[in-house]
Amino acid sequence: MQLASRTYEADSIASVQELYHSNGWTDGLPIVPPTEDAVRACLERVMMTPDQLIGIEPVRELPITAEKLAINAVMAGCLPMHFPVVVTAWMAMMREEFLMHGATASTGGCAVLVVINGPIREEIGALGSFNALGNSDRGTAVIGRAIRLCLINLMDVRPGAIDRSTLGHPGKYSYCVAEDEDDLAWTTLAEQRGLPREASAVTVMAAGAPRQIMNEWTTKPEEILETFAAEMRANLRHYSIHPGNYALIIPKQLREHLQAAKWSKSDIAAFIHERARIHRREWADVGKGNVVRDRGDSVYPAMQSADQLLVIGAGGPAGGFGAVIPPWLGDKSYAVTLPIGACVDCEPPPSVKGSVR
Amino acid sequence: MIFRVLDPTPEKTAPLGQKAPRLDTLRGKTVGFISNGKEGTKAFFAHMEDVLRKDYGVANVVLRAKPNYSAPAPAAIVGEIKSWDAVISGIGD
Repeated sequence: MQLASRTYEADSIASVQELYHSNGWTDGLPIVPPTEDAVRACLERVMMTPDQLIGIEPVRELPITAEKLAINAVMAGCLPMHFPVVVTAWMAMMREEFLMHGATASTGGCAVLVVINGPIREEIGALGSFNALGNSDRGTAVIGRAIRLCLINLMDVRPGAIDRSTLGHPGKYSYCVAEDEDDLAWTTLAEQRGLPREASAVTVMAAGAPRQIMNEWTTKPEEILETFAAEMRANLRHYSIHPGNYALIIPKQLREHLQAAKWSKSDIAAFIHERARIHRREWADVGKGNVVRDRGDSVYPAMQSADQLLVIGAGGPAGGFGAVIPPWLGDKSYAVTLPIGACVDCEPPPSVKGSVR
Repeated sequence: MIFRVLDPTPEKTAPLGQKAPRLDTLRGKTVGFISNGKEGTKAFFAHMEDVLRKDYGVANVVLRAKPNYSAPAPAAIVGEIKSWDAVISGIGD
């Protein structure tokens, strides 16, 4: 397998680090040296040739090849078993509706949230339990980091270059979570979005930082979910009024209350869709009175429809916590879900197209 | 130990296109503005129009705003550029 990339020689691990840092090829953290053997192993895992086109970024029309993704994935710490997730995430990010250029260039400073579903979670040891949104496991850590290194090196999404983020957030180092699929009471996120449970899948979402909530003083679904909805209303007031894909992260303790009451993910989404909305006049309460104008009575829901809510079971077993992950900019960018690798049940995808976007 | 490592960036850079010929004067010309549609662009482009008309003798100013400030200009706006002598695409935030 002949690789096309230029090669460099360095006489020590420290020299490798300085070579990559000095060229602006890192996120500031040390990288794993991308040797030819390591890169070939990733490509063999996905049965791709180095020049295989993963996609063309739709705005700047930049071609993305498997070889370059693999180099950056190795740098991030990926093993070959992690690479299929990176490839699929990038395929999803290059869908027009994701608006990758806007989402990665914006002053809004979002990151690409990657959600993993299906059997590959167990293969890579990413089970969405303790510390799910933090450094929970090796797999999600390196996959999330690979997404960012690819953006930096393939799209020039460097701070001050294409990346014009005012603040950004810590998820820009790595923002990847596996859903906890141990309890069968709920459909998985990928199932909700039209894929079979047996398929491994990736969902990408242009996402702000997680906003953590706590309510361990009730078992009633309506009360638990009201806390989530209140956090979304706060986001509509404090950040952006644009409706779009929000994600809810629901750990086991709160999940058990909802499941005991027979609330499905669709029930949750319907409730949240009704409760997570504000009047435009509420902007005046948070210092934004200048933009209320004569539209104070207009109602702004957090989502255009209930199915825009991504309900994700993840988190350690104890604690009445949860999180709301808001969209970068509402309906400017849509979450995209794709199956990993060949999925005979997923093609042709008319039923998928309707719900996966 | 020698590490032989690979370049993580694209080998080929995308063509940047060519600069249009410079105008020798703005007097009597038509200048188009492509706004990203954000609030801050309104005063900015209004002032630009004032300056171009009064100080540079620009004959016509055409203002177009993108419907989505994070996406490229739609084809209809890009198609209009041919009928302008110059274009200013500004980002207001």
